[in-house]
Amino acid sequence: MDPLLTFIVILVGFYGLATSNNIIKSVFCITIIESGIILLFLNLGNFEGGTIPIIGEDVVAIVDPLPQALMITTIVIGSTVTALALMLCIKLFHHYGSIEWSKIFGKGDAS
Amino acid sequence: MANIALLLIFLPVLTAIVIYVLQPRRSHEIALVMQAVLTVFAVVYALHFQADFSETLIVIGGWEERIGISLLNDRLSLPFVFMSLFLWWMVLIYTYDEHDSSPTFLFFLLFLQGVFMGVLQTNDLFNLFVFLELMTIIVTVLIAFRKIGSSIRAGIYYLLINTAGVLAFLIGVILLYYSFGTLNIAAIGGEMAGHGDYRVIQLSFVLMMTGATVKAALFPLFSWLPKAHGAAPSPISALLSGIIVKAGIYMFIRLNDMFAPAGIEYETFFLIVGLATGFVGAVFAVLQTNIKELLAYSTLAQLGIILVGLVVMDGYSGGLLHVLNHALFKALLFLGAGLIVVVYRTKELAKIRGVAKSMPVTTVMMFIGMLSIAGAPLTNGYVSKSFITGALEGEPLLYYAVFLINVGSVAGFVKLSAIFFGEKKLSYPFSHIHKVLPLVLIAGACMAFGLFHVPLAETLLDVDLAHVSRFTLGGLLEFLVMVAFGALFVRFVLSRGFRTLARVGKFRLAFETANYLLVIYLAVLGVYFVLL
Amino acid sequence: MLSSVSRKLILIAAMAVVFGLFAASLIDLASLYNDATKDYFFEHGFEETGSNNLVTGILLDYRLFDSLFEAGILLVAVSGVIWVSKHDFADKNPNFMIDKYKTPDLFISFARLVYPLLLAFGLYIILNGHLSPGGGFQGGALAATAILILYFIDKNKETDIKRIVTIEKVLYLAIILVALLSLFTRSTAFTNFVAPAAGRQWQVVYLVTLNVLIGLKVAFGLWTIFTAFLKEGR
Repeated sequence: MDPLLTFIVILVGFYGLATSNNIIKSVFCITIIESGIILLFLNLGNFEGGTIPIIGEDVVAIVDPLPQALMITTIVIGSTVTALALMLCIKLFHHYGSIEWSKIFGKGDAS
Repeated sequence: MANIALLLIFLPVLTAIVIYVLQPRRSHEIALVMQAVLTVFAVVYALHFQADFSETLIVIGGWEERIGISLLNDRLSLPFVFMSLFLWWMVLIYTYDEHDSSPTFLFFLLFLQGVFMGVLQTNDLFNLFVFLELMTIIVTVLIAFRKIGSSIRAGIYYLLINTAGVLAFLIGVILLYYSFGTLNIAAIGGEMAGHGDYRVIQLSFVLMMTGATVKAALFPLFSWLPKAHGAAPSPISALLSGIIVKAGIYMFIRLNDMFAPAGIEYETFFLIVGLATGFVGAVFAVLQTNIKELLAYSTLAQLGIILVGLVVMDGYSGGLLHVLNHALFKALLFLGAGLIVVVYRTKELAKIRGVAKSMPVTTVMMFIGMLSIAGAPLTNGYVSKSFITGALEGEPLLYYAVFLINVGSVAGFVKLSAIFFGEKKLSYPFSHIHKVLPLVLIAGACMAFGLFHVPLAETLLDVDLAHVSRFTLGGLLEFLVMVAFGALFVRFVLSRGFRTLARVGKFRLAFETANYLLVIYLAVLGVYFVLL
Repeated sequence: MLSSVSRKLILIAAMAVVFGLFAASLIDLASLYNDATKDYFFEHGFEETGSNNLVTGILLDYRLFDSLFEAGILLVAVSGVIWVSKHDFADKNPNFMIDKYKTPDLFISFARLVYPLLLAFGLYIILNGHLSPGGGFQGGALAATAILILYFIDKNKETDIKRIVTIEKVLYLAIILVALLSLFTRSTAFTNFVAPAAGRQWQVVYLVTLNVLIGLKVAFGLWTIFTAFLKEGR
């Protein structure tokens, strides 16, 4: 896959963030950006003939293991952000009866 | 000795977990003891500081510097470390009696301290990303801590937009990793020379600066700041405004240092960003009717001045000094405002009157804070502001722009000061020594930074302030002129109650628009730094 | 305010600019491309960490500090989700509870089959993290999925969240302790407490221990998050 394609995935996420009025969609757009970044990072480190970075017999060329390790971290971070954001979404729905940004911020202070 | 850097991170984190698991009855005392131990270690650590970093650089695991993660303390991070220690002390004392759900609150508060120490000390780009995300998540929970509708919506707004910004930062990290083969900030900075013409370096600069802009709440990506500050509990607002937002400024300095050898000319652009931030903050601060939002927007105005100070002066000196001073007086104002909100049970400025009679000590302390932020002579605000404006002497346009921002923020505080006058109205009795003690201590620190600015700036920041006097007749006159302008504006414009003005004051950026601006900002930065 | 069409057009134009810049910078990247770190890992990674799987070697040794906070971020998020989800049932919106757990029987039967396999596979991935693709985080996530399936099999399953959270926090403390052991054996914190000279079979002890601890911690953490969400729905 071409790095440019993965960058398009990232931009799709940003486009969604900038246009969607729905909180759940915004959360998923963050996830899309994250997936795009993961693909981009792994993709840039990949090359023809590279094998998985596991040392064994007759391994001559491996792909860079560091991006893979970093991307595990990114995946974990992404999943926690998603979990927290979705839980906040549920709570917002309980309070405002809506998950749309315009409706939630249109209403007055609930305190 | 170098391992103390790890201790600064892990001692608060471990204490937080122990408090969360055991839920001991005296959890707050444990936190205070931990804080005392931490302070002692930090002081010992700072006393061993060597200019060649031999005592303050640690490569974790003993690997090669390019391979492993390293922590580095220099003349930039140590003042931040001590300022955050001081503010966490104050917040811990301030929250002493909040019994309900106290262990959970302390868990997040102390974990945040450890993570913040990590942000300050790390010398690794990806590690910085991890700490930034961790900080974002903890601050989100703390903003939403009271679980009422307005705090939860502010929390999710903060979480999503900051994550978007930090992800932009991560793309920049990726590009830099593949260009230099390492994530070590110092190593990348060392090899940066001669790379200024590569577009990939310029693009990563753009992406990382976008992340820093979101974190530092600079124009046009500031919209999360008033929401978060308005909705968070007061001690958290004090921390957010005092030190957490400064993490973005800190990133800005670190990244600029890293990219400096490449010779990217960032000054003009960020000067404009700083002025715009200052103007927006000053204008909106005057128009607010909510005490905490007024303080939040005045943070923006001060951030603008900080950025101007960072960009214009050599070695960021003026901006750094103002960062520290602003941390003090803004924390003071937020903590004081928190007390007022608790006593009067409202945040509306119009409904609060007669604070001077019902809360005399708080009033005195708040006045010290307001004089400091307005830049009255003999206070710390005056020192750093005249330090920055002194550097602008040759450029009258800039000088008057900063002067205007100052007038705007002074007008905001003239408006705020109305709450102190008037008859003592309905208020709830209130006397807790531990609530007032932090105010007195921070006000004392404000005065100390104003009166003994030369030795303090010398030891903390290695800046020579001998040419800045703590009191000049001209400075006093300038201050009085500002107050007069502000008072006239409040008296003759604001009190008329123009409807357009009220509508402008209520204007808030929607989430989509904030992200829209993020993309536009990215593109503008890209065009400016890569194409031109 | 801008009309929505022109707003979108400006947005797309801005994105096109960013995309163009990225495409242009990729050309520069090709000439700058530096893979010295990869070569370092390829040459020294196996001897220094004792892990065939270099990704595990990096996660548990070279960049252990990152992994500690990666686990820490999960820990904080678990506490945050629990804190936010605790609520009074009085303010609950009844419309939200439409789903009455209409799980198909076929799904339940298959879940009974899959559940032990999934759990065993998760354990396998955790234990073999240093040999084959996998490790604590991945295996922990798999094991947590198995537990999630358990909720579908036994609809009335109640979980004591407080206990799981306590176990999770204690596991995190244990991870930090194991990571810190090297401070006493090799006088440098956060690396393998067995020096490479001691031989690979001893280095593996550390890798497996830490992988198991991280796997358990991740599984317990995700379990808590699932449970908090399920309680929201019930």
